[in-house]
Amino acid sequence: MVLLVVGCRPAPDTASDIAVTWQVAPDPPRIGQTTVTVALADSLRRPIREARVTLKGTMTHPGMAPVLAETHEVAPGRYQATLDLTMGGDWVLLLQATLPDGRSVQRQKALRGIRAP
Amino acid sequence: MNAEPATETVPASPGLDLLRVPVIGRFLQWRRSRRVMQAVLLLVALAMIVHGFWGPQLASRNLATLLTWVHYRGVLVLVLLVAGNLFCMACPFMLPRDLARRFFKPVLKWPRRLRNKGFAVVWFIGVLFAYELFDLWGSPWWTAWLIVGYFSAALLVDALFKNASFCKYVCPIGQFNFVASTLSPLEVKVRDHDTCASCRTLDCIKGTRAEEDNTLVLQRGCELALFQPAKTGNMDCTFCLDCVYACPHDNIAIATRLPGSELWEDPRRSGIGRFSTRTDLAVLALLFTFGALLNAFGMVSPVYAVQAWLAERMGTTAEAPVLGTLFLLALVVEPLLLIGGAAYLTRRVTGSSEKLLSVTTRFAYALIPLGFGVWLSHYSFHLLTGLWTFVPVVQQVLLDLGIPLFGSPMWHLTGVPQELVLPLEFGFLSLGALGSLLVAYRIAARDHPERPVAAFVPWAVLSFMLWLAALWLLNQPMEMRGTFLGS
Repeated sequence: MVLLVVGCRPAPDTASDIAVTWQVAPDPPRIGQTTVTVALADSLRRPIREARVTLKGTMTHPGMAPVLAETHEVAPGRYQATLDLTMGGDWVLLLQATLPDGRSVQRQKALRGIRAP
Repeated sequence: MNAEPATETVPASPGLDLLRVPVIGRFLQWRRSRRVMQAVLLLVALAMIVHGFWGPQLASRNLATLLTWVHYRGVLVLVLLVAGNLFCMACPFMLPRDLARRFFKPVLKWPRRLRNKGFAVVWFIGVLFAYELFDLWGSPWWTAWLIVGYFSAALLVDALFKNASFCKYVCPIGQFNFVASTLSPLEVKVRDHDTCASCRTLDCIKGTRAEEDNTLVLQRGCELALFQPAKTGNMDCTFCLDCVYACPHDNIAIATRLPGSELWEDPRRSGIGRFSTRTDLAVLALLFTFGALLNAFGMVSPVYAVQAWLAERMGTTAEAPVLGTLFLLALVVEPLLLIGGAAYLTRRVTGSSEKLLSVTTRFAYALIPLGFGVWLSHYSFHLLTGLWTFVPVVQQVLLDLGIPLFGSPMWHLTGVPQELVLPLEFGFLSLGALGSLLVAYRIAARDHPERPVAAFVPWAVLSFMLWLAALWLLNQPMEMRGTFLGS
């Protein structure tokens, strides 16, 4: 049990200096196809290019099917993917990025009250 | 109504006896079998508590929320459907309590005024309310506290009070299991009543003590006051098998039976009395049924419109009063109107002068199958559609512990596609409705033999209406929000 306590602390974000801004369309988001664009910038506000960014959408209720997508870079430092939000309710978007220098970034964003269009 | 006491049911011979089935029977007859099952669930519970407090606070990635609200609830109702109250048998809350009783003997008897289901009904509603108010389904931290709370309550109650007071008079999960297990195909019952008739030691209820030291209990008897020769059905039975181990004549079976038949039988049951005179049990049965509908309603889109309307009417943006009002409407007003109406019509068409409360108490049990159908439909949906979601969570836990035994987490895993689960849900609801019709008719025939159909019709209409309501719920879009009024 002690190991479980020690081992279950969230893995530290090795790139906490990286700024992540989110853009979700449509706004407010609805059930169905949702375009998520994330911008990664360093501490000098320079866009971070050629990162490998994956997005996952999961509901706050356990046991619901998550949605996964790899992003593609649509502009310097801007990564975009389309997720199919399959159900109404509260969702959480999870970002997992690996930077060109090998560091990893983890962020999350809440999407509350997703409803039918 | 012809308010004559129902004739005593002639005990039928047991059907298939699980204790005689190879391997399973041998395991269950082993006195440590319950401890083994409890120990396994205790380890799981401890892992859930630890992960709930210290793991990721995202419900889909935490063992506390995932295993409680998806897997435990789903497996629980399915086991009750196909077997019996095996989760009370394997209850981990009893392990710390039994350990504590080795050192501290409880001296108090459960208060006489509380020797009914009133206290348990309050706690049952409390858990349902807390589930909605604190969005327990979405909070690993709160779910962990709920589990800790259960352990603490079991320990505290049974440290103070003798016998299985927590199980019989408090535990909300236990009350749910007792009601649902009235529909289970297995029952702990006597094999041969002639053997019981000649028994002078009554070990099944008294237990056995050491000859040289009368205070030393070698084997407990039933702690829920269910004397086997006079026991009927599964109400209040935790399948602890103390009676099996205590019986010196090997005369107790885990036997098959007609599911639900105990709902229309009305003998004087050991430790319970007659269902027809137990208003508190009838209230529990109605709470079981209407609580099922309310719990499902809390997950679909229309509930937010209802909450917004109530909030506007009440002039508040606080969730607790709005939720409280919804609970009052769904668990008190609605049953009073519907059940009261059906009871009134039954009395009217049969020309009975019996009190409405008495009619209601007799027929309330007829709704249990429908209620169980709703719980089955709801919980099996979550279990089946999220069946494999625990796999990546366990993989991640092991990875975090530095044990890459099962590789990288397969976060894409889910379960059975919804389109395959929906027909099963419809089936459970419909079976439940059919069960309620059958039980209602049997009760009507038992209590109004001169006009059974007339007495049955109001309850049939009520069951049909509730079935339609459940079907409507089934077809509503799900919308699980942890926010109130969009805040």
